Amino acid sequence: MMLVPCPNCGPRNSSDLRYVGESHQRPNPKEASPRQWRGYLYWRDNPAGPLKETWYCRNGCRKYFTAIRNTATNEFENHPLPGTKSGAVDPSFHYVSESTSQLERPE
Amino acid sequence: MTAARQFLSRAKFKGDPSKPARYSAAGLVSKGARSQNWPRVWREAELKKSYDVVIIGGGVHGLACAYYLATNHGITNVAVLDKAYLGSGGSGRNTAIVRSNYLTPEGVAFYDRSLSLYKTMATDLNLNVMFSERGHMTLAHTDSALRTMRWRAEVNKLQNIDSSVIDPDEVKKLAPSLDVSPDTRYPIQGALYHPPGGTVRHDAVVWGYARGADHRGVEMHQQTEVYDILCEGGEATDGKGRGGRVTGVRTSRGDISAPIVVNCTAGWATLISDMAGVKLPITTHPLQAAVTEPVKVFLPTVVVSGSLHVYVSQTDRGELVFGASVDPFATYSMKGSLEFTEELAGHVLELMPNIGRMRLLRQWAGLCDMTPDYSPVMGFTPVEGFLCAVGWGTYGFKAGPVSGEQMAEAIATQRTPKLIEPFKLERFEQGTLVGETGAAAVGH
Amino acid sequence: MTRLLAQPGEVIDRTMPLSFTWNGKAIDGFAGDTIASAIMAAGERIVARSMKYHRPRGLLTADYWDPNGFVQVGDDPNVRSAHRLLEAGMDVSAQNVWPSLEFDVKAANGLVGRFLTAGFYYKTFMKPARLWPAYEKVLAQFAPGGKVDLSTPPLYHDKRYAHPDVVVAGGGPAGMAAALAAAENGSRVMLVEHGHRLGGSLLWGSETDRVTATKLAQECAEAANIEILLDSTVTGRFEDNWVAIVQRSHPVAVERLIKARAKSLVVAPGLIERPYVFSGNDKPGVMLSGAARRLINMYAVRPGQRAVVFTANDEGDQTVQDLERVGIEIVRVVDARRGENIVAASGGAKSVESVELADGTSYEADLLITAVGWTAPTSLLNLAGDRPAYDSDAARFFSSQLPDSILVTGGIAGDGSLDQLVEHGRATGLLAARRGDVVARTLQSLTPRARPVDGEIVETPADDRDPLGRDPHPELHRSSTHGMVDYSEDVSSKDLFAAAQEGYDSVELIKRFTTATMGPAQGKLETVNTVAVLAEARGETIAEVGTTVWRPPYAPITLGALGGRIFEPVRVSSIQPWHEANGATPILAGQWVRPEHYGDPAAEVRNVRSNVGIIDVTALGKLDLRGPDVAKLLSLLYTNKWMKLPVGGVRYGVMCAEDGVVMDDGVTARLAENHYMMTTTSSGAAGVWEWAENWLQTEHPEWQIHITPVTTAYTSINVAGPKSRELVGRLTDIDLDPDTFGYMQVREGSVAGIDGCFMWRIGFTGELSYELHIPAGHGLWVWEQLLSEGDDLGIRPFGLEAQRIMRLEKGHFIVGQDTDGLTLMPSVGLNPLIKLDKDDFAGMAELGWALERTDLPQVVAIQTTDPSIVPEEASQIVRAGTNEILGRITSSRMSPTLNRSICLGQVAPEAAGAGSSLTVVLTTGERVQAKVMEHHAHFDPQGERLRV
Repeated sequence: MMLVPCPNCGPRNSSDLRYVGESHQRPNPKEASPRQWRGYLYWRDNPAGPLKETWYCRNGCRKYFTAIRNTATNEFENHPLPGTKSGAVDPSFHYVSESTSQLERPE
Repeated sequence: MTAARQFLSRAKFKGDPSKPARYSAAGLVSKGARSQNWPRVWREAELKKSYDVVIIGGGVHGLACAYYLATNHGITNVAVLDKAYLGSGGSGRNTAIVRSNYLTPEGVAFYDRSLSLYKTMATDLNLNVMFSERGHMTLAHTDSALRTMRWRAEVNKLQNIDSSVIDPDEVKKLAPSLDVSPDTRYPIQGALYHPPGGTVRHDAVVWGYARGADHRGVEMHQQTEVYDILCEGGEATDGKGRGGRVTGVRTSRGDISAPIVVNCTAGWATLISDMAGVKLPITTHPLQAAVTEPVKVFLPTVVVSGSLHVYVSQTDRGELVFGASVDPFATYSMKGSLEFTEELAGHVLELMPNIGRMRLLRQWAGLCDMTPDYSPVMGFTPVEGFLCAVGWGTYGFKAGPVSGEQMAEAIATQRTPKLIEPFKLERFEQGTLVGETGAAAVGH
Repeated sequence: MTRLLAQPGEVIDRTMPLSFTWNGKAIDGFAGDTIASAIMAAGERIVARSMKYHRPRGLLTADYWDPNGFVQVGDDPNVRSAHRLLEAGMDVSAQNVWPSLEFDVKAANGLVGRFLTAGFYYKTFMKPARLWPAYEKVLAQFAPGGKVDLSTPPLYHDKRYAHPDVVVAGGGPAGMAAALAAAENGSRVMLVEHGHRLGGSLLWGSETDRVTATKLAQECAEAANIEILLDSTVTGRFEDNWVAIVQRSHPVAVERLIKARAKSLVVAPGLIERPYVFSGNDKPGVMLSGAARRLINMYAVRPGQRAVVFTANDEGDQTVQDLERVGIEIVRVVDARRGENIVAASGGAKSVESVELADGTSYEADLLITAVGWTAPTSLLNLAGDRPAYDSDAARFFSSQLPDSILVTGGIAGDGSLDQLVEHGRATGLLAARRGDVVARTLQSLTPRARPVDGEIVETPADDRDPLGRDPHPELHRSSTHGMVDYSEDVSSKDLFAAAQEGYDSVELIKRFTTATMGPAQGKLETVNTVAVLAEARGETIAEVGTTVWRPPYAPITLGALGGRIFEPVRVSSIQPWHEANGATPILAGQWVRPEHYGDPAAEVRNVRSNVGIIDVTALGKLDLRGPDVAKLLSLLYTNKWMKLPVGGVRYGVMCAEDGVVMDDGVTARLAENHYMMTTTSSGAAGVWEWAENWLQTEHPEWQIHITPVTTAYTSINVAGPKSRELVGRLTDIDLDPDTFGYMQVREGSVAGIDGCFMWRIGFTGELSYELHIPAGHGLWVWEQLLSEGDDLGIRPFGLEAQRIMRLEKGHFIVGQDTDGLTLMPSVGLNPLIKLDKDDFAGMAELGWALERTDLPQVVAIQTTDPSIVPEEASQIVRAGTNEILGRITSSRMSPTLNRSICLGQVAPEAAGAGSSLTVVLTTGERVQAKVMEHHAHFDPQGERLRV
């Protein structure tokens, strides 16, 4: 199991965190064209290499933070402190976990 | 006239399906008696400098596309390139389940066509792909899951797909090893039962398509990695991207020119389409699968539980084959992880509490290209001559035959066939996603 | 084959005989015996039949990896008989035989074997297609393996997390030495040994070997910081040295999975002896040198009477000595180092009888020992990203590149004398300890709140070990004849040649086509021979062909151990004991167990509509929001406006994701100037919290807001019905005057003597109702007080089902039931709540475009023409006379209030207008008529009842 370097809690099992996804800048919703907005919603760089991404320390400090991880090797390069505007809202967020159906939301 | 159309006007069916050795029981006896070997399943050819169509990815999708190009459209000057060996990606790593009980009418029509191609595949390809129509059960553990199952069943019935909701007693009859008592943590409330679903020997599908394509003149080139896609006229400085046109590919064995290049990869779909400057709505996640030691056959159907993130079937060899949902974070690493196998085993034992003594023999991971709506990206792209059949998530194997057939039609006619119209790339710009999330999330 | 006289290194206890049954026959063995050694000591030679041809098989390796030693023990299938220790009373039987091990009908397969070449099934059974299912059933009859007993009760399993500094995989001389050196350097060490005792190959070696083994094992046992795990295997190495260990010897658990985060991992598994491929190599009596030595030296079992030994190494030479010592006649030693070779073994079905040599001579023997070299078990190295390289001089693979935190020692690292191996082990253990220390200190330094690291973190120490040598060894894989390559899959070298010539000529393709290496030993015996035969077929070298990737687990692990116990708790409210005692029918709703009803949900509905009822709604998600900027956050999360909500006010909101899809809904109350409480759907609570924190932490870290989830800090009770005011008034000090405490308002006060309760006037049921949030410890008290005080008012509790009926009567949609993963907010009929004139809110951009769309489905109230028909939820709505889907029923119930069926549904816009006539396809296939209603609410559309 991969260790994820939470800047507050230190390296923790990846199962202690929630993967938020690629970090990206949220366009201004009043100015964005549909194409720009859907780029933000759906388009992903998905590189095989360094990727700036957001994690949520769900079972620890409950902070969102960004880190750079090499997706080919799963090695983390850095782990900056949170609390700065990081453009890390998850545009594809639906609170039912991704692995269960969005249509099977229990009540 | 576009370059693609020019080549199409030249393409003629060569009419020489060179008489391959037919596979049959009689053949086995006669070869066995004379200690003869069979001819090569597909031939090796010199890599040429140019082809009419280059297909990247020698898995089920790429090979099916090549096969149907040759069979249905007489286009045979085709090369299928694979960076490793045929079937080395998702085609050889999936859990070999096929079904057509999807949720949306678009999904149902598409996968039903695939299932019907699977049904006749053994005779069509003269190679036994061991399609086992053993039935497919998707368990529901909650009221709301049962409601979704009924939704699928009702949509399926309207499209003449054999699919219905059954109660726990019927579940027990079909799979006696399941615990249907109400006292479990996730009691089984019922299931969506789909008798035409089942399993197919995945490697055989790869070999069958490769053999069929080879007989019609298509070339398969293994150990041939694509380094770049050559383009001109696009918005980017190197001629790639929107408005551009494909001229060929650069491979580990040299450049090949081709007016049409098809991305039939899984796991690497983003990296390949990046080479043409085409961006995709895909993130790549590994999916863990595992197999147990063989025991005498006791599980006659395919059993899936979306809530428990697990699907399981037993091969004719007696092994239980399991799959999980995709790992939660994006990665290209296929090293495999322990935690998902643990969860898998735990949930299998929730369903079948008496098989705790069975031993897990091997686990592996495959890469899945996940799209936001659990539906593929198929057809033409903003770069002329560059087509995609990608984004298959966890259900690529089920779609392989129809994907190949429809992509071949798109290439041959230069029009998007109706069956794959809903899966075009533009839907993500237009905000018209396909509502397949409910059926496809861990819906094996 | 009988038990020998006492052997100096024997591990059996002759004072402790154990009785067991073998295929129904009573047999005695001794404590310390494996099942197989006891069977062989009793004079049996055949322990199994092979998978495909059902050929009789004897022991080949006499250890865990023996491909021929699989038996059924009671309800335990596929037991490794040459590894599992004998226990008294064991019921052992051969697997995959019918009717018996001695006479197996399916052995007939062997007669037609030439037609059943590997992959034969791909070439036949295609026509007629309708017969394939029948063929398939027959093939399934031939599935190998033992039987699962579906009456086996769930077994006790356990898991353990460990945080050792160094894990040593393998308790042979090098592994033990490594453990000792690491421990001496201060590391906490886990020493994991696959077998039942420490010592590795020394256990069946010379007297010197055994003395050394005993001494090292003793030192390990005495070292305070070495934990020894016997009959345990390191099955996998995952990212960041997450090491999986299966412990088969746990005293309580049937099998236990240990997950160790090792700072360093020492891999010292030794070597696995490789079989030789020649005609007849799977006849009973053909075995590897290690098998013969184990049987003789550890178990005092005579493996045969007259032996031919084919040797290429010292191990083979030692075997000759062992055989001679116990009086087995050595008919001939065939020395590969002198260019000698064996060609074939022949004999009857049950034993080898003669051995043919390359020089044309032939010898009668009932035992043929081969010692042709080793396979390096590089599985753990593969998992760490290593690509082992083949050394043709030493005739085996060696590791090529490993991360610093993994070190190899022992036979997998090279050859040497026992002293040299021990010395290399020690150096490895020390290096592992020093490197592990750097890893530990680095991890500590990365943890801000851990105590600071003492001193500087030094760089990872370089590898200063003297490497082990590599002894030359002849490359011996196949003789001039064909024989078994994969014993457990019945794949011969002839099969492999045929497959390669057919085009399955890369190692992965040939593996998949022939199933070689896919059996229970997972390539430990077969991989290198498979590669060698393929190389021969292709006219290439082993290095050119390359090897296949070993996949985890290294040794199989039971599903029980892997799954462990499920720790997925259910949630209940503090009133649950009352519900259980009062006949509530439970329902599982997400994580929660809640009362579905108390016997008659329709009566519960009528009582709420005419008197008063109470429902336990603790499962409702609740978030406590404090700070001066809460209204800004609410404005960002919900589509409507929140800046002017007064203290004491309650407002409803719909939350959308950034794609405009409805994600949650609920009411939020402003309790004080800077204090709000938000309610969410039951399953949404955790997600909404994370979603809110996401916005707060990443987009608006400047806002001062603190969010606390308080779902179970309060017990929540909804008191609903026309008499609810009278009832609540008897128990509270809060002024309930409707002129001052109106609909959609909140008050704080005491209820039934409990201070600090919040009371909301809201109404999901459509009746006058008060929702009480009571400090959780007092929830049950208040519930009981309400019941006793309300007795004269006709109070009765109601469950989730009655609430669902009433909300449907009122036309309230449920997120996730009446909406789905693509439902945009303009579909739910609440467009006035979408405030595009705000600066920003989640989903704003998409909702702006969505409001202009005319193609969105609509959630509408629907009634069937025949009031007695309740279409099942998910019934489809179609265009009349066709199968074209226009929508579906999302909720449906029989309304006890209206005495007719009522529905909500999603319908295409063309059919969603009030009064539209719809065709509903029932699940029976019958089509019935229905119409779209004017209002979402089937009952009291103006909401007069809840505003009284």
